[in-house]
Amino acid sequence: MHARVTVKCFFLLLMIFLLASCKAFVSNELSPEEAEIKIYQEWLYTFKISDLKGNGEIFKRPPGIEQLIFRLVIPTIGGTSVKTQCIYYRVPYKEIEGLLKIIEQKNESSCPDISSSDSWLELKAISDLQVKLENFKLILNFKNKNNKINWTFLLPNINNGITHEKYQAAKEQKLFPGLTFLRITDESFDLLRSKYLGKLSDRMGHGSAIRCHQVDKSCQTVGENRCDSCQYGWYQVVDFNCPEGGSKFCGQNHCGEKNEPACPRGTKLNDGLDEGICQSDLSPVLNAEHILVCQ
Amino acid sequence: MKEFKSYIVPLLTLSLCAVLLTGSWFFYLKKDIPSAKSDQFIQDKEALGRLLQNSSEIQKMWTEGEDSRVWGTIKTECLRQFKITSPFDESLLRCNPMLLECNFLFNPKLNYRLVKPETNNGNNLKWYRYLTKSNSAHVGLEHSGFLFTIEDKLSHKHLDLFLADQCQEVFLQKRIYAYGEEVIDKPSEDIEDYRFDNFNQNIYIDRHLVMNSEINDWIDFGNPNFTKGLKKIEDDSLFMPASGLDYNQMENYCSFKGKQILQAHYFDAATFLPSDLTDTTPNKNNRSPYYWTKKKSEFKSDSLDNCALFYAEECQEKKRFQLNSSGPSWAGVLDSMGGIFEVMRNPIDPESNLKASSYYFNFKSSWHKLGFRANWNGEGFELRNFDFLGLNPAGAIDKFKVGFRCMRESQ
Repeated sequence: MHARVTVKCFFLLLMIFLLASCKAFVSNELSPEEAEIKIYQEWLYTFKISDLKGNGEIFKRPPGIEQLIFRLVIPTIGGTSVKTQCIYYRVPYKEIEGLLKIIEQKNESSCPDISSSDSWLELKAISDLQVKLENFKLILNFKNKNNKINWTFLLPNINNGITHEKYQAAKEQKLFPGLTFLRITDESFDLLRSKYLGKLSDRMGHGSAIRCHQVDKSCQTVGENRCDSCQYGWYQVVDFNCPEGGSKFCGQNHCGEKNEPACPRGTKLNDGLDEGICQSDLSPVLNAEHILVCQ
Repeated sequence: MKEFKSYIVPLLTLSLCAVLLTGSWFFYLKKDIPSAKSDQFIQDKEALGRLLQNSSEIQKMWTEGEDSRVWGTIKTECLRQFKITSPFDESLLRCNPMLLECNFLFNPKLNYRLVKPETNNGNNLKWYRYLTKSNSAHVGLEHSGFLFTIEDKLSHKHLDLFLADQCQEVFLQKRIYAYGEEVIDKPSEDIEDYRFDNFNQNIYIDRHLVMNSEINDWIDFGNPNFTKGLKKIEDDSLFMPASGLDYNQMENYCSFKGKQILQAHYFDAATFLPSDLTDTTPNKNNRSPYYWTKKKSEFKSDSLDNCALFYAEECQEKKRFQLNSSGPSWAGVLDSMGGIFEVMRNPIDPESNLKASSYYFNFKSSWHKLGFRANWNGEGFELRNFDFLGLNPAGAIDKFKVGFRCMRESQ
């Protein structure tokens, strides 16, 4: 009986030993070279960067405590949704070693001040970290076990807006204007996963069109502007005659037609004209939502 | 105890083997692989660097079009490949996939190749996919455009490039405009000099009429329910205006691209030459019937030199019609007079929806005026489908050609 227990204990110890040895192979700890390519293959697709701290200065504070240094919004593989990567850094202090840690969150979300335990990547023994964003390049300089490491990641999908210039086509303020890197898989063409809004048959006159942007009477935006997500384009309606434009709906524009919204006539003509354009046999009237419609 | 003793030797042997195996595996990973792994990471980084460099060059070529260095070297083979024998406006090569395809096919110096996409019907002959928000679920598509996959020849690594096709649009300056022909007499209740402005809108208008090659992409990559009955037109007609669609199909095509069919008052805005380009809020909008001049009676209808201004009936004897025959309007819109008919949506006078100035009329015709429009019922292409207000073409035409262009608002 005693011998059987001893044998079982021995097997148990052996299993524990073997499992403990395997831990080394499943750790998230990577070499800087491995980490760099793993990161680059992900950050290349970054749509947004925010909460960037440091401004190119070496992080020295707070010693020994983890801090959020920036946040990225990246499309998932297949591109049918986005995820958030939160990047943390712990400044080394005495026995506490410096640590770069990346955690992933589903969707586009804010990052907690302190990371959770599950990391997407960890790089240990780093110090003297500097981070700066320059001309769509994210530069990370640091020391790893006293070796100087310089990482430069291009962020070609970051779009700082569009320049509108007369006689010209729209110009995106990007590293490569007009070019976006996508993460295409078969899933990218599964329209059941599409988050784009509206159907071709949607009409404001039928009450089926999706309002993608709403402004109130003080010309403030109410809620989110989702017009870039309209599947078949969008059009503006006349509501509060705001200098930055009125509310917007997704779909095919039938402005000026019966029961459809009036087309915008502008904001600088003050000669007692109708504020909206309707077919010559119709007149613009305000509906219950304070939108000019043609009747 | 006796039982234990019988186990001890195999157990010790087993545990020794396990320790040795684990140790050597650990040693193998930590000692031998790192250099091989490290090399692999360096190679991966170099491959990504090459792909990004190539992407940058592709993007440059995409926007430069006919001005790119490579076009001169591959032009002959490219035109042969696509069976194009007639001259065409080469500025149409900007934001056009043909240039990238030809560069891949005929430029031997490339260190990347294009990967042909697999489509559901399996018969895509193109090296790209046309992506819009209606045929893709990929987030972050701000516009419609072309998806190319490039492969690094050395490492076989891929990168998916989305190239937006918005360089053939023009931004309409924010100013006060007028719709329709100028009302010479004092406006009365019946005759209104219809004015509007776009200070609270960012309007983009297509520079040129929609081409057959663009409709081919709609047929290949759009919802087949909306393209029923349409046939692809290839070869020499790729750069010619698409003219066989009914009005609903035209509207749906523009929607497929996230745009709208052009509205008549914006067409007028982009074509009537403003009397003072620096004054964006004029008290009156004087407008000439011709896009190239402020004078109202400058046009002499008896000169063939006029073909450079707009392509009328007489010009057919001089040279073959091609897209962008007429020079740009002040806003950059081409073919605002002459060529084929152009339909637009008129939210003010829906019946006046057709730019009738075309090669169906000679230079003397009254139709060659901006803001003066005929009617098309949007369904067929015979004379009975049009209303020319009694000013019909002189000759018998079996089938008229009606083109269109799109516009969009931007945030």
